Amino acid sequence: MGGNTKRHTAVLCFCCLLYALIIGPLSTVMGSKPSAEKLGALPTIATLKFISADQKLLIGSSLVMRVITYFGGVVEMSKNNIDVSPDFLMMSRTIHAAVKLDPYNIDSYYFAQSFLPWEVGQVDVANSLLIEGMRYRTWDWYLPFFVAFNNSYFKHDFKSAAFYYQKAAELSGQELHISLAGRFMQESGQTDHAIAYLTLMAKGARNPLAQKNYETRLAAFKQVRLIEKATERFTTKYSRVAVSLDELVRLGFLETVPTDPYGGTFFLQSDGKVGTTSKFSFKKMTGKEQQGGATP
Amino acid sequence: MLNHFAITLKSIIRDRIFHGIIFSALIFLLIPSVASLSMRQVTELAMTLSLSLISFVLLLLSLFLGGTHLWRDIERRYTYSVLSWPTSRSVFLVGKFTGTAVFIFSVALLLGIVASLTVLITSGLYPPERPVVWDVFFLAIILDACKYILLVAFAFLFSSVATSFFLPIFGTICIYFVGNASQQVYDYVQSPATVGISSVTRTAATFVYYLLPNFSAFDLKVNAVYHIPVHGIGIMLTSAYFVTYLSIVIALAALLFEKREIQ
Repeated sequence: MGGNTKRHTAVLCFCCLLYALIIGPLSTVMGSKPSAEKLGALPTIATLKFISADQKLLIGSSLVMRVITYFGGVVEMSKNNIDVSPDFLMMSRTIHAAVKLDPYNIDSYYFAQSFLPWEVGQVDVANSLLIEGMRYRTWDWYLPFFVAFNNSYFKHDFKSAAFYYQKAAELSGQELHISLAGRFMQESGQTDHAIAYLTLMAKGARNPLAQKNYETRLAAFKQVRLIEKATERFTTKYSRVAVSLDELVRLGFLETVPTDPYGGTFFLQSDGKVGTTSKFSFKKMTGKEQQGGATP
Repeated sequence: MLNHFAITLKSIIRDRIFHGIIFSALIFLLIPSVASLSMRQVTELAMTLSLSLISFVLLLLSLFLGGTHLWRDIERRYTYSVLSWPTSRSVFLVGKFTGTAVFIFSVALLLGIVASLTVLITSGLYPPERPVVWDVFFLAIILDACKYILLVAFAFLFSSVATSFFLPIFGTICIYFVGNASQQVYDYVQSPATVGISSVTRTAATFVYYLLPNFSAFDLKVNAVYHIPVHGIGIMLTSAYFVTYLSIVIALAALLFEKREIQ
């Protein structure tokens, strides 16, 4: 009996030793697998939904985790000067599959936003994913905020950016979003809209500091609107765009050059749009901006 | 019936199933660290993992207790001695089913308490954007337990006619997948995407939908994890559906078991 136990123990030790010898090389082989193998082949969404049964949230989360881990690994390799290009297409597919299984998971949207518009230039794909997510995460200001940012930064679609910043502002109540919404409305030629919006927000602001900020921006936009009306009258009369604010004052379309409450100086851009060196903020202006190179 | 109920509970406990459950409860300890891998929803991920683990344990228990318990008793000829008691076969079956169902429900509650501690710790470490709604969390666990009790009923139904464990185990696995997909298929058939399909197919699909169990009705995981409101009427209807459907399946199982020829 004692002999048997010894023999069994020896066999067990031998197996453990064998395992220790194998596990290292196996990990190396697994680590060097191509990205497609690491991310794995995805079945169709219908199949995924069927086999997920009542574990759809778990499978959705695990898909997101898999992409995050994979991308983290690729980034780590790049840091070590190993040139590996990430399989963005497969990453995008996996994230889309995860969203179909769990459309409430913010990690999917957050991660998609981190690589789709930036690394791959797929702004529209990112936006459609985020807009779809807004149907589910109705309380979350992040999604409209991301869409607004993509529209303003990547697509220069300021009207759409203003629309989504306004949505983000409605959900978050954050002063930043309200200010950005107002600013992009003005930027997209909707100064009247921006004024009406900020007037409403200023009235509803409970925080005196926030109210003061809204009122300052409102005052700035009212001045912009004053200049815009003058340029419109000028264009109607002379069939051309005014060159400068001085020209508007000299020809009687403005009494004086309006003052920017942010401390900047208003100017006319080549397309006739009104700009200011302050960019509608109290930040310290650089010398270049003060020379009139900056536009809002 | 109370005798059969008590005997069933004792035999389940004697099977050392608790050891497996305690082992699975240890996995709950890992959940906070795994959930911390999430970028923006650590608590939500902890809730997802907890509810999924509970579901998984309940699924295994339903399959192996429901699928093997009655069949094993027949196989070991234990039923012969029991059925010689002044009791009917249907009472024996209902007693055994009740014992298994109570065990499943107790395990769900026990694991629910462990899961709530896990979520509590995680939410303390990583406060969520939206507060955890505990009543929906526990409601999700209770409805999950109901779902698996219904699955156990199917396992008993298959066991009542089966001559080997294949039908109870694999039949129950099929019911699990079909029950979770039935609502999805019904929604698809009713959607505008299927305008081209014939009315016969549509009617047949609707008939099959009414016939098969609808496990999606018991799934409140999304509501629990993401703070989505739960409709009271929906819960009441689901509860009524559970009681009615369960009664039908168990009544059918009892009927078949009464008529079964046991040699």
